Amino acid sequence: MPHAVELQHIRKFFPSTGVLASDDVSLSIEPGEVHALVGENGAGKTTLMNILYGLLAPDTGQILIHGQAAHITHPNDAIRLGIGMVHQHFKLVPSFSIAQNIMLGIEPNRAGFVNGRTEAEAVRKLAAGFGLPVDPHARTGSVSVGMQQRVEILKALQRDARILILDEPTAVLTPQEVRELYTVVRNLAAAGRAVVLITHKLIEVKDVADRVSVMRRGRMIGTHPVAEVSIRAMANMMVGREVLLQVAKGEAAPGEVVLRAENLLVAGAGGVPAVFGVSFTVRAGEILGLAGVSGNGQTELVEALAGLRPVDAGTITLFGKDITASIVRDRREAGMAHIPEDRLVMGLNLQTTLDENVVATHYQKPPFSARGIFQFKPMRRLAQQIIDAFSIRAARVGEPIRMLSGGNLQKIVLGRELEGRPKFVIANQPTRGLDVGSIEFVHKTLIAQRDSGVAVLLVSVELEEIFALSDRIAVMFEGRIMGLLDARDATETEIGLLMAGSSLEREAV
Amino acid sequence: MLKRTQQTFGSLAFPLLATILGLIVSSLFVLTARADPLTAYQHLFCEGFGSSGCQTFGNLLLIDVPQAGGGTQTVFAPFYGEKGHKLALVLERATILILTALSATVAFKAGMFSIGMDGQLVLGAMAAAFLGYAIPDQIYALGKIDPKAIPPAIETVMHIVVPLLCIAGAMAAGAFWSWIAGFLKVRLNVNELICTIILNTIAVQIAGYLINFPLRSDVNNLARTRRIEDTAWLVPFNRGIFQNVEWFTGARLGIGILIALIAALALWFFLYRTTAGYEQRMARGSRLFARFGGIPGGRAVLRAMLISGALSGLAGAIQILGVERRFVDGFAAGGLGFDGVLVAILAKESIPGLLLVACFYAGLQQGSLNLQFANLPRQLGGIIIAFIILFSSMETFFRAQFGKVWSRLRPPRRPPAAPLSENRTPAL
Repeated sequence: MPHAVELQHIRKFFPSTGVLASDDVSLSIEPGEVHALVGENGAGKTTLMNILYGLLAPDTGQILIHGQAAHITHPNDAIRLGIGMVHQHFKLVPSFSIAQNIMLGIEPNRAGFVNGRTEAEAVRKLAAGFGLPVDPHARTGSVSVGMQQRVEILKALQRDARILILDEPTAVLTPQEVRELYTVVRNLAAAGRAVVLITHKLIEVKDVADRVSVMRRGRMIGTHPVAEVSIRAMANMMVGREVLLQVAKGEAAPGEVVLRAENLLVAGAGGVPAVFGVSFTVRAGEILGLAGVSGNGQTELVEALAGLRPVDAGTITLFGKDITASIVRDRREAGMAHIPEDRLVMGLNLQTTLDENVVATHYQKPPFSARGIFQFKPMRRLAQQIIDAFSIRAARVGEPIRMLSGGNLQKIVLGRELEGRPKFVIANQPTRGLDVGSIEFVHKTLIAQRDSGVAVLLVSVELEEIFALSDRIAVMFEGRIMGLLDARDATETEIGLLMAGSSLEREAV
Repeated sequence: MLKRTQQTFGSLAFPLLATILGLIVSSLFVLTARADPLTAYQHLFCEGFGSSGCQTFGNLLLIDVPQAGGGTQTVFAPFYGEKGHKLALVLERATILILTALSATVAFKAGMFSIGMDGQLVLGAMAAAFLGYAIPDQIYALGKIDPKAIPPAIETVMHIVVPLLCIAGAMAAGAFWSWIAGFLKVRLNVNELICTIILNTIAVQIAGYLINFPLRSDVNNLARTRRIEDTAWLVPFNRGIFQNVEWFTGARLGIGILIALIAALALWFFLYRTTAGYEQRMARGSRLFARFGGIPGGRAVLRAMLISGALSGLAGAIQILGVERRFVDGFAAGGLGFDGVLVAILAKESIPGLLLVACFYAGLQQGSLNLQFANLPRQLGGIIIAFIILFSSMETFFRAQFGKVWSRLRPPRRPPAAPLSENRTPAL
């Protein structure tokens, strides 16, 4: 039986960045298997799959589909050859119904007139056939993220995808939705289709994949049956050295209350309330983890705390001082630091240099400014300090940061925010999109901050991260805190239920 | 250091390539006008940048000068000033271009795509034209001085104070006009592009009203203000300190070019060496980032708009005080400010680059004016300039194409390292 996909000696060089993203990579995928493709950021996983899907042209190498040489220059070629791809960011029309989205571009029609009823019927049949029930008439924008992903998968299946590529499919799902997705993926494989799972979550690989291919810095390190490799071995292959998956953490020694939020009411985009009467405290020397599926008001809450979004009602106090209406600069003066969710847009200015980025929060004070004139020496010294303290090898003082990897960029943000001894740190998705090595580093740093008496508010959609770091866990759902648990005796199931909106019998802490 | 040199070379090579491509493509139009492209271009460049007697491209550098005793001598052309040099005319034009391009650059660097230079320049010019006679009049009236017999001491002081006051007034007028757009943007998030376009029209109409009614000085066919007093006049070099240097003959080039160069230097210092400039560049890089870091972005934008308007106003003042000496109807419709926007964009908002581009652009304009004397349509100049600009703006496209060729010729490097560091806990 021929391989479903065979990539032979694929090479891809990006002249604009000078990166060899794929260096003589060969990979074969069998029909009926779930094949995980893992690697750090920038290892070349997505590049490789984009080549397979016709979004990028390889410099050299060839692609065989079901044993036949294929020339894929456009996604349409890929679709014709039975390749389907579900992107990390869904490509759906929110105002269309689910049926319309699935049939988009291949609508059953008579002389150009689309028949909505046949369309819906075809979708219903398709969905039932794969055991993926959907409501064909529901408006796509109003269904849950998990359902939207299902629509994407159905869309690929409707085009008869024999080879399905899923790019980071679980990043946006609740634990329950992740379980459902696993079942779907296993069923598809059982039906003889090949599924490629791009991910950097190794637990997922263990749970669902048959074989795993590890990439590192543009090269294929190896392909192994999942049953034969441990998570630790995979992590080491990915990074090329020993990594700690679980950072050691001692008991917390919580001190005085640093931040107190009371009955916060915050409006989201368009004036719709996004946070409804949220109250909590963060003490010195503890990490409060705020769990929840993304889009349940965490962003708005963090922005309100950081002074980027007005508070409609309620109060925020820092060390007993009311800062509800303070401007960002005053909050920072009072000891607040903020590691933002989006480091590329909010955390850093990629158009400028390392030096100018590290002084962004205190450029106006001596020694960086003397009577309004910029002082370069202290600025360079600080940049060098951060490079040394956080071992950002690739960064150079005075040079642009545009080319640095996600992990290094996050280290710059950490360096800047933790400089000047903050007393309250908001860490919003601090490891999103980072690889195992960088995650380990960020986790160690946050725990070191906690141990030195800093109050940390950790916001994350990754349950592993919440469990690894938090001393107490708050769960947000639709703008409310559903429960506040002690991390020592909270279980993943409990948190998962709270994340999905059910309340628990017991209310701890 | 080598890298620096390479970068400079790279940034100069591209405009050169764009110019050559522009000339090649416009040859088609020259040919349809039944002319020889080489001759036409030699004429264009000689009229734009050459000395008198310039005939060929080579003459731009070296020229044979007839000697008094017969025979000729070869001299370095840019220094050969017999009957005036075209470069003096180029610098006269470039003065305004530099100032308006600086004005555009400072606004762009704050993330404001303001193209209000035209309106600000017109109002600045109007203010300078009015103050240029109104201030001396007031001084004469207050001091009971006879304008025909001013005591020399007072005259000297007036020669310094009056132009300064006129310039200050012009800068204030321009700054105010620009501030309106900035204020509307910061407070009400009104699109600055649309806002400045409308403000330009309003400014031109205001100037048209003033020139035709309250400030009209005589019954000349063309409405115009009274000529500014001599004490307000920024005397051109060829009438003042360099009147014996033939190089300056025919050009109303004056102290304005020095003011423009000082403004360029000052603006560079402001943008790259002061915290206020830093605020403004950060606000542009990412508005979210600025807010996140606590940088007062709105204040930075307003400051940039004030500086931008003041520079355009200054450009208007210099055009009136140094070149035209009165505001004539039609000045406002000239679109002087838009060329500055173009120069700023072509120079990619670099201040040294803008100085070069302004001079080059001024030279092309200068050269195309005289194309008709070589039996060529005057519009040809505009076509050539437009093609050069078109190719200059295609830089990204060309770089990508060259990048492809380059990557085939050159073996690839290893990808930049993923973190291999022994991650230790930070000591901070």
